[in-house]
Parts: sequence; C-alpha cells; structure tokens
Amino acid sequence: MAKRIVKLTFVGEAIKKPLTFRMAKKFDVMPNIRRARVTDKIGEIVLELDGKEKDLEKGIKYLIKSGVVVEPIGGDVIE
Amino acid sequence: MSYVLGLRCRECGREYPTSVVFVCEYCFGSLEIAYDYTRIKKVLTRKAIESRPKDMWRYKELLPIDKAPTDGLNTGFTPFIRSHNLAKVLGVKELYIKDDSVNYPTLSFKDRVVAVALSKAKEFGFHTVACASTGNLANSVAANATIAGLRAFIFIPADLEAGKIIASSIYNPTVVKVEGNYDEVNRLCSEIASKYKWAFVNINIRPFYAEGSKTYAFEIAEQMGWRVPKHIVAPSAGGSLVTKIKKGLQEFTDLGLIDKFDSKLYVAQGKGCAPIVTAIKEDSDIIKPVKPKTIAKSLAIGNPADGYYAYDVVKKSGGWAEEATDSEIIDAIKLLAETEGIFTETAGGVTVAATIKLIKQKKIPKDESIVICITGNGLKTQEVIVNKLVKPLKIKPNLHSFEEEQKKRPTSDHYSI
Repeated sequence: MAKRIVKLTFVGEAIKKPLTFRMAKKFDVMPNIRRARVTDKIGEIVLELDGKEKDLEKGIKYLIKSGVVVEPIGGDVIE
Repeated sequence: MSYVLGLRCRECGREYPTSVVFVCEYCFGSLEIAYDYTRIKKVLTRKAIESRPKDMWRYKELLPIDKAPTDGLNTGFTPFIRSHNLAKVLGVKELYIKDDSVNYPTLSFKDRVVAVALSKAKEFGFHTVACASTGNLANSVAANATIAGLRAFIFIPADLEAGKIIASSIYNPTVVKVEGNYDEVNRLCSEIASKYKWAFVNINIRPFYAEGSKTYAFEIAEQMGWRVPKHIVAPSAGGSLVTKIKKGLQEFTDLGLIDKFDSKLYVAQGKGCAPIVTAIKEDSDIIKPVKPKTIAKSLAIGNPADGYYAYDVVKKSGGWAEEATDSEIIDAIKLLAETEGIFTETAGGVTVAATIKLIKQKKIPKDESIVICITGNGLKTQEVIVNKLVKPLKIKPNLHSFEEEQKKRPTSDHYSI
C-alpha cells in the first residue's frame, strides 16, 4: 500500500460533483480528508490518499481528467 | 543560546519540538517557528542591535538557530535608498528602495534564507543540501554550500537555458537536469526530500529557511530610523516574503523596537502567473493554481505554498495587489535603472511596475511613505532587455562623426510613466 498527500482544487462545475467519492469507489482508494475550504466559486481539499500505487496513479489521473487541479501540499518547490 | 520554543502549525496551532518536520501531521498545515519573546525582549534592544556587525545576523535572537551563526556572515544589511529621481517621476513625496540586488554573495534576497537554512542544516547534522531552482535560489545554495563545505545538489528542468546554469555551476555543485516538465520536477524533488537525508532547503527545512526573510523587514525598520513606512510593495512567488515582512515587523513592534506597525502591504506578480494577486482581487481565500507564463521567471510559481497566508496578511493590512505585463516589466526595469542606477531583474521590474499602477489607481497615496522591495540583480536576466535598449552610437574615428551622431541621442527627461 502507498500513500499520497495532495491538495485538490475544484473550480467551476467540478465543485458540484462528488468526484472524490467517485474516485475512491472506482479505484479502491481511501481518502482521508484533513482540511477543506469551499466557496461558491472554488473549493480546496487537503487529504491523504491510501491505496495500491497503480490505483493511486489511476485515481489521480481520473481527478485531473475531471477538471480537478491536483498538487503537492507543499506547493511548487522550484524557486 | 536559542530563543526558539519549537514549531507551530499555521492552521491548527499544534506545537512540535524543533526537528526536521515541515507539515503538521494532523492537518497537513505548514509549520512555522515559535519564539520565546519574553526572553528575547530582555536582551534585544536597539542599542544591542546597533552595536553589532552590519549583517543579517544582528537580529540573531529572532532567527531559528541554537548556536552561533555559521553561514551568511556577510549577508544582508543591503542599501536602503531614499529615492529622489524615481520619486519625482512617480510624483510621490517619500519613496525608498530596499536594494537586495547587491546582497552577498549571489546578488539576491535568497542569500538571506539560504544563510539560515545552511546554519540550521549543520545544526541538524546534515552534510548535503539541495534545492530545485531555475535561478536565484540555485545560485545561493551553490555558493553558500561551497563556503560551508557542504555537498550541494541543484535540481533543474532539463530545458533550462545554459546561461542560467553557469551562475550555479561555477561553484561546482552537482547539477541534476531532470528530463520532465515543471510538475514532474516538483514531484520528484518532494519524493527525494522525503527519502534522502538531505537538507532540501525549501522543503524539509522550509520553516527555518523562511525565517531568513524577516531580516529584510528588520533592516527596513532599522534603516528608516526605527520606524516603518506606510506602504510596502513586495514581489511574490511562493508568497513567503510578504508574510515574513509582516511577521518581522510585528515582532519588532511587540518587542518595543518600533512604536507601531501600521504599514499596508502589497503584493506584485507577473501577469501570466499571478495566483495571489487574483485571489486578493477576487477576495478568495482559496488560491487557484495556474500554469506560469511570464518573463518574470523568478516569480513563476503557479502553486504558491504560502499563497493563502500572503492573501491573508495583505487583506488584513488594508493593502492590495497588482500584476505587471511583460512589456510593463521591461519598462519598469529600464525606469529604475535610468532613475536610480539600479539594475534589477524581472522580479524588480514587476514590483516597480505594480507600484506605478497602485499609485495611479490611488491605492497608494502620493504623500505617504513607500518602500519598494528590490530582490534580485538584472545581470542575471539580461536576455529580456537585450533588444529593448537604445543601441550604441556607431561613429567614424573623427570628431565630426561623433558630433553628428550624438545629436540623434534622446535627451534627458526621456523617462515617464
């Protein structure tokens, strides 16, 4: 099993869809939400994803394809 | 002697003992240093500071090291300039420039944060330091590591121009070109930071590294005569600088070193990579990551680690934010050079251009004190202006030719906003 800590940013239509739940169910990934903020225009979730490495990859790709911005929680490190 | 109490989560407030941790294990919030201000207040006075060498360590009690500083011993205390020429062009009464374009040893503000990072890395027992950078941070880590006798790894995207690598390679670190896009380099570096026992300056020792930025604010206050300006305009990449300017000046106030801190803080970013400016203008405390597209490469961070905190301190101060187009950046670099003799890099151009806009918008009144933060040197980004300058006069080797040609030169007062 592997873990990923990521920040998900939802904009536009993606805010209204249960994408995190769908990703968890479809790819057998367990999300553990630690922090979240949401407005009517944008949403942000910081969470840990737990699952098999290949399932995590697939799950993250699914989120990106669905319009979610997936980023490491530490922000960009290239300064 | 250390005045550090430990680390504290900026989100949930949980506390941790001093160690190599950078995110809260509960909420994954970022950590910052907590100090024992009661003890600091007993020893850190204006008189004590003024008696010390003119470098960034004159404020050492407010920096997160336990032993005597070992790095950056000639860093900081950069010029603080009362501007007359640029002030006249902008039509403002009291303008200052805090000039880190001549910081030591690598001509950028990054020498401050790297000095703290390396001193702390040695305290933690690291022998290798690392960073991912396309410019100023790489230069500073490479130079300071060689002075410190530490092994250095510099990670860069494989397509980075050769000219940008020279200012790091000259110090002989291990430069690693990563054949991947920007996101892949970011992800790889985070993985390396979690696997290898290295001090990755802006990842696993980021809470300590970032504290070095406060010295920029301390110097502004001291060099202004132990007071603060009404307005401070700072460039923003990851968002850390403006938050540390706020923290530093608040600390000075709480310690009684300055009477009050009522500065309005402003953030400047390049159009094409302005996620913090957008958040401030839209009043959204959630930062939307962007794909950078600006000539201000040193500010091109699309997913700023401290974006929310930068938003927060700017809004609470009553300040604002502005972005600069590529052509505005170039014009501003030239304006600063032609008025004040300061050759800044693109980040400085962004800051000057944003200041001009903020004055025009009346966000910054013309009759109040203003500080512009210049954080890097123009010699490093010559490619953006090389074709934008007045060409040299070309003459025959006789007096007549010189006199004819020199009439074609623009006269003074050629700059305007």
